[in-house]
Parts: sequence; structure tokens; C-alpha cells
Amino acid sequence: MKYTAIFKVEGGGDVKCHAEPGENILEIAQKAGVKIDVPCGGNGTCGKCKMRIMSGSLSYDKGSGQLSDDEFEDNWRLACQATMEADVMLWIPAAASDYISGIVTSGLRTPEELKKYNEMLDELFTHDLKKGVQEKGYGIAVDIGTTTNAVTLLDLQTGTILSRGTVGNGQIRYGADVINRIIQQGRPGGRDRLQKAVLEETLIPLFEKEIKAAGIDPMEITRIVIAGNTTMEHLLVKANGDSIRLMPFQPEFLEHEPMKASELRLPVNPDAKVILAPNVGSYVGGDITAGVLSALLWDKEEMSLFIDLGTNGELVFGNKDYMLTCACSAGPAFEGGDISCGMRASRGAIDSCVIHRQTLMPLVTTINKGRPAGMCGSGLIDVIAELYKVGAIDAKGKFIREDKRIRDDGYGDKEYVLFYADESATGRDIFISESDIDNFIRAKGAIFSAARTMLKSVDMHVTDIDRIVIAGGIGSGINMENAMLIGMLPKADLSKYSYIGNSSLTGACAMLISDDATEKVYDIAHNMTYIELSTEPGYMDEFSAACFIPHTDSTLFE
Amino acid sequence: MAFKRTPQTFNCSMNEVTFGTGEKAVTIGGENVYPLYTFDGEIKNKVAIGVEITDNGFDASVPGIAEFYAGCEGMAAIAKRASEMPGASFVVLTLEGADPNGQNKSIEECAAIAKEVADAIDCPLAVQGCKNIEKDTELFSKVAELCAGKNILIVSARQEDYKTVAASAVMAYGQKMSAESAVDINLAKQLNVLISQMGIAAENCVQNVGSAAAGYGFEYVASTLDRVVGAALTQNDGMLQMPIVTPVGGESWVVKESTASEEDVPEWGSREERGIEMEVSTAAACIIGGSNAVFMRHPEAVKTIANLVNALM
Repeated sequence: MKYTAIFKVEGGGDVKCHAEPGENILEIAQKAGVKIDVPCGGNGTCGKCKMRIMSGSLSYDKGSGQLSDDEFEDNWRLACQATMEADVMLWIPAAASDYISGIVTSGLRTPEELKKYNEMLDELFTHDLKKGVQEKGYGIAVDIGTTTNAVTLLDLQTGTILSRGTVGNGQIRYGADVINRIIQQGRPGGRDRLQKAVLEETLIPLFEKEIKAAGIDPMEITRIVIAGNTTMEHLLVKANGDSIRLMPFQPEFLEHEPMKASELRLPVNPDAKVILAPNVGSYVGGDITAGVLSALLWDKEEMSLFIDLGTNGELVFGNKDYMLTCACSAGPAFEGGDISCGMRASRGAIDSCVIHRQTLMPLVTTINKGRPAGMCGSGLIDVIAELYKVGAIDAKGKFIREDKRIRDDGYGDKEYVLFYADESATGRDIFISESDIDNFIRAKGAIFSAARTMLKSVDMHVTDIDRIVIAGGIGSGINMENAMLIGMLPKADLSKYSYIGNSSLTGACAMLISDDATEKVYDIAHNMTYIELSTEPGYMDEFSAACFIPHTDSTLFE
Repeated sequence: MAFKRTPQTFNCSMNEVTFGTGEKAVTIGGENVYPLYTFDGEIKNKVAIGVEITDNGFDASVPGIAEFYAGCEGMAAIAKRASEMPGASFVVLTLEGADPNGQNKSIEECAAIAKEVADAIDCPLAVQGCKNIEKDTELFSKVAELCAGKNILIVSARQEDYKTVAASAVMAYGQKMSAESAVDINLAKQLNVLISQMGIAAENCVQNVGSAAAGYGFEYVASTLDRVVGAALTQNDGMLQMPIVTPVGGESWVVKESTASEEDVPEWGSREERGIEMEVSTAAACIIGGSNAVFMRHPEAVKTIANLVNALM
């Protein structure tokens, strides 16, 4: 016998469906098309799928620590840990589904990014790369991110941007990070499901929307360039991703033959050529090779460090003569995962913060000026740096000050409250706990120690870096001084830093309008030395030294 | 060409820390050469040996230990006897009975024992907790209070409780503290940084960078000691120049070489001799690595290590 579940989505409509007793609520919701952000992939560890029972009941395993007793009493449940046992009506707060509508990310939207984009193209084509492909028509550059996908529709001959858009990656319900996705694709029918999620649910609708916005005939689109990390490219073409996460970490392919658009069911000219940016290793993919093209590491004498901040942090160090690259697992903290009140950079996310020295009162800005709903990566950097500056936390990230805003969660973990329930968009307190700070310190430690280990492998030091280029969606609002203060980025003069936004998409655009640029990206991929940190003996030592504010060796930040 | 020896001395040295009061106060650290490298320079203070007893007295199952304390009634008498052990210069009281998962003795009872021991001896006292963080935090505060003026060494403060230990033991009652980390140079340094950021002066803090019985992962201890001493002296790393204390007795008397009965493994010979050998080899290895003080139990082992120290320093 079937029960009825009704999902009342805040700011959206009601969705009604039927389900068998014992069926998982999260799965029911996803099947019914209710979008819910599940960074942990439904393991009960992220607490982002909280729903409230309006009527009826759920069978629930209250083992997870992500739900407080008060919340439980107040009828909140984690959808991923709940199953059907009766008719039920559930209320879903906007925060749970906001990621779909409101992600603010770099898709060549901000004036800063556009300026960079134009500069980059200008500079690119002052070199030996010739602008323009032989064919007439239009093309689409695509950046498939683990979290967000971005596309740009261009005139192939002039490089003029006709339209652009971003959308959350539909695969997200199969897990927030690549490892979870790879596990999912290994299940029966998994590769079909994941390809469908990124094509039918993500790229195809986005293509249709942008083509319509540009007002052109889809048949005139004759060239597509896609840049994504190695896993995303595998999932896109239904290649087996298992070997990416298993020793000896060799992906199924590094370079993929160009395809026809019809093979991927893309709504453009069926004969349009689809080019995938080449990968370098399991965790350094086409998004990085395309990114390095736009970061212009390959034409300079000076030594540049390129950092793409995301769930996986990828780093490239080098100049026109040689390049090294490595990837580290920063975890989802930069994107708000594994953080009690973390969220992606969408409406209401705290993206910058100053804390008053005496009163510990926070002064914040939020994305789209919404009521504060949580903290995104750049906000976290500020909150932690500020807490450290005002002496509220010690160098291990433990609270050492007493204040009315700092409380004990009852399990020996202390937390600092930025906003109380009545001030927030979620109706719940917005706080940061010691374990959140610890997760973040590990993430920043992973990035910094990766940089140190990579430089050490060529007997160089962070002081040898002439130029630091930061890329990635999280980076747009980063306060570099705070990021240095907490030891996330190497100490350097601010003038050495630049932020280039979504470098992968910019690189894909260049590949779209120039065969020379495409060649160059292949060159870059061939010339990079990939360093596997997990087999690098000094890495763990560097990592534990970096898990401190700013670093166990404080002279690195003086 | 004739070989010309260049002494390897450093422009910096380990800190000196003194605990206890009066004539018998013990000072450790202060050297600016590698451990035992007397040919490079003078080693300012000899390695000190502490005699370990517990709130339950001593380990009567070991004949040599039982014999040494024969006739002692009560903690004061045991402590007095321990303080007279040849070769040792201070007493270590381990409050193992405070463990909530064991005897769960009250804070007051344990602190009173510490006070009784401190009053009974004229040499310095070090007090170890029961390894339960919550209990130790309270326990150390109370012990520091009752032993005010004795300049005892509290062993030890960990990452979880260093704030309370620093505030209550050192700042409030002028005792000394030891910073304990688990065989990792980064963790050791991090804790030392945190403690110094609390405003604890260098002369008030020693470090215990972890220990293990010889043969039980001791290579980790050895490499940690090497790296700590190396960074302290060659790189003048002020955050690693705290003198090093290493509890040895508690590690070496619990492994199978020291506990297996003679009935079970007759081919191994005397249990007591095995235990002494474990304790001696562990202590010697720690001293070679750079420990400035070791905590030991058996009179024979203490005598052996004291001879070694006197011969080499």
C-alpha cells in the first residue's frame, strides 16, 4: 500500500507524490523533482536536507549529530535519514533548495571578469596564437564544474559574447564531490544516470536557454569546447571513472577524440565538433589546462603559482619553460560543505565579515543583500580571520575568549553565534563551531601544504613566487589579506596576487575561437609534470604543519 | 692533512627550567650542544631522573621494587623512601587512581595525597594525572593550589586543557608545566606556541613530546626527539627549546617483556630482569635522543641510568 507525501517548498509550490512504506524521503523528493542540496550525498553528515513535519509522521533514525534535540522536538528531520511510515506533509526551507536558483558564480558576469576576459584574449592573440577558426558561425564554451556549470555562446570569428549562463550541476544529488560521484557511477546504471543528469537536466536546458537568448539558429552552432575536471569529463562521455579513485590513479583517458554534438544529444548542429580540453592526471583535468592557458603561465619568465580553489584544489607552478601541477583534496569546506551553517555562494550567504574587537558583534555583507542564511567560502575566511584577530580563537581554532556570543553546544564543542534565529533567513541561529573551524583549517592546510610540497620538489620556496593567480568560483570575494593571515595563501605582497575568476571557461572560449589556442592547451597538458601528493613522503608532515593559524612555522607569514 | 676537529656548538640553547625549591631544586636544559656531545661543549645540566610512585603506592609485584619500599606505611613514607633512591633527584607522583574508568578517586582525595607527598619529601615533585582530560584539568588545578609554594612540575598539559593548566597551575600558583604531544614535531610546536601565546614564560614550561617503550614504535619517538632538538639548536626555533621530559616507567613496565610471567614464558628468564632491561634501554634511548629528564620506577634501573649519565656527561 502507498502513502502520500506532500512537499511544501518555501517560495515554491507544493509537490505531491505517492510512496511505499520504507522508502527514503530524500529519494522520493528527488524522484518527484524537488531540488534539494545534498553535499554529502545523503549520508546524514551535512545536515543540509532538513525538513519539518507539518502533519503526519516519518520513521526516523536519530543517530546523526547534525540534528539537535531541540530541532528534533520541533519536528525537523533530515530527509536522507527518514523513511515513509504514514501520510506526511513536509515543509522545505528555501535554504535547502536555494542552490539551484541563486548560485552566484563566475560565468563571465562581473565587469571584473569581463575585463579580464578581454585582456586575456588580447594578450593571448598578441602571441604566436592566431585568432579565429576557419569556419563561420557560432560556438559554445562550457565549463563543467563539480558544483556549477557555466556556458558562453560566442561568435566564432569575432569572439563576441552573445549570451552566457550558469546552472547548478544536476549530478549534485549524487554527491557533492567527485569521489561520491565516482562511487555512484559504478553502481548498476550509474553511468547512464550521471550522464543524463549533466546533459538532460543541466547542459541541454542551459544550451536551449542561451541559444534562445542569443536569438540565433541552433544549426549555426558548429563548435563546442568543454572543459571539466577529469571526473566530469569521464561522466560526460560515460567513460568508466573507477580508475580515477583507485591505485594507481590512472584515468580511462587523458585526451578524448573530438566528438560530434549528436553523440551527446546537444541541441545544436548535429555535426558540430565537440572538443574536450585535455586532462593531465586523475585530479588535474581539462578545467586546469584550459585555465592555465588563460592564466598565461606559459609565456612568462617569472614564476607563477596558479591556484584553482574548489572542492578539489588544483595548483600549477611554473613559467614558460616548465610547469608542475598537483591536486589536493580540500574537502567541501570552501563551498560551505561540512560546516554547520555553511552554504554555497547563493542568496543570503555571508561573503564578508568584520568582527568588533570588544563586543564581538559581526558586521557582514551577504550575497544579493539577502537576510543572512549561512556562510560561503569567502565569508568563512573572514569570520575565522576576524575571530583570530580579536583573540576569540587560538591558533588551533579553539575558542579562548568568553562572551555572550560564544556558547557551549552541550557536547564540549564551542560555537560563536553571528546571528540569532530572529535575525536570520533560516529561522535558526547562524554560528560557527570549533569543529567547523577545524574543517576549514584542514581545507586551507591542504592548499598551503600542497603548494609547499610542490615547490619543495624543485627545491624552491614560497618566496620564489613572483605572481599568484587565484581562480575558481569561490575566489571572487576573497579578502586576500585575511586569507594570508590565516595561512591559506602564501604570504606575498598584495600586488603579486590577482584573481581571474572562472579561468576554465575563459580558456575554453579561447579554444573555441582559435585552433592555435586549442593546440596550445594540448601543449600545456603535455608539458606539465603531475605530482601525486598522496605518494609524496613529506606531504603529511607539511599538512600537519599547515593545520595551524597561520602555520606552525610562523616565519613563513612574517 | 691532519684532521682538525671543529666543535659543533650553537649560538642558541635549550631553555633552563628549575622546579622544586631550596638546595635540592632540579634544573634541566640549558645545553647548546647535541645530546651527550660533551666533546663539542659543556652540557650545562645533567639529565635528571625522577622516581615514579602512584597514589596506590608502588608496584609490589616486582620483588626489587617491593623490597626497596619494604616497611613503608602510607604515602608519606613511600614518598620519602622514593626521594632517597640512589641516582634519582626528584619524585614523580602519578595519580592513576583518579581515572573515572578506574578507581575514580575524588579530586580532593588525590590532591590531598599530592600534598602529603610534597610535604614528606625535600626534593622536587612532579605530578602526573590519570590521562582523562576532564578529570586531569580539575585535578591539576586543585593539586597546584594545595602545593602552592612548592614549585612542582605538572605533567602534563595537552592541546585540550593547556589553557586551564597554564592559568591555574602556572599563573595562579607559580608551578611549572609540561606540554604533552603525541610524537609529532608539528603538534609539539603548535602546543608550545599556544602556551607561549598565553603568556607563559620560557622558564616555566618543559615539553613531553611523547614516549614509547623501546621496540614499541620507538623509532617515531627517536625521530621526533631528533627533529625537535635539531630544530631547537640548528634553527634556533624558540618554540621547540623547552627542555624535554619523558615518562619511561609507565611505558616500559606495561609491555609484555615486563609483564609476562615466568610460568608462561620460562625461556625468557626472570621477569624482573626483563623489566629492568626494558626500562634501562628505553630511558637510555630517550637520553640519547635528547630527553633532559626521565621518570623511572625500579631502583636497579635508576642506578644503571644514573651511572650512564655520570659517565657520559
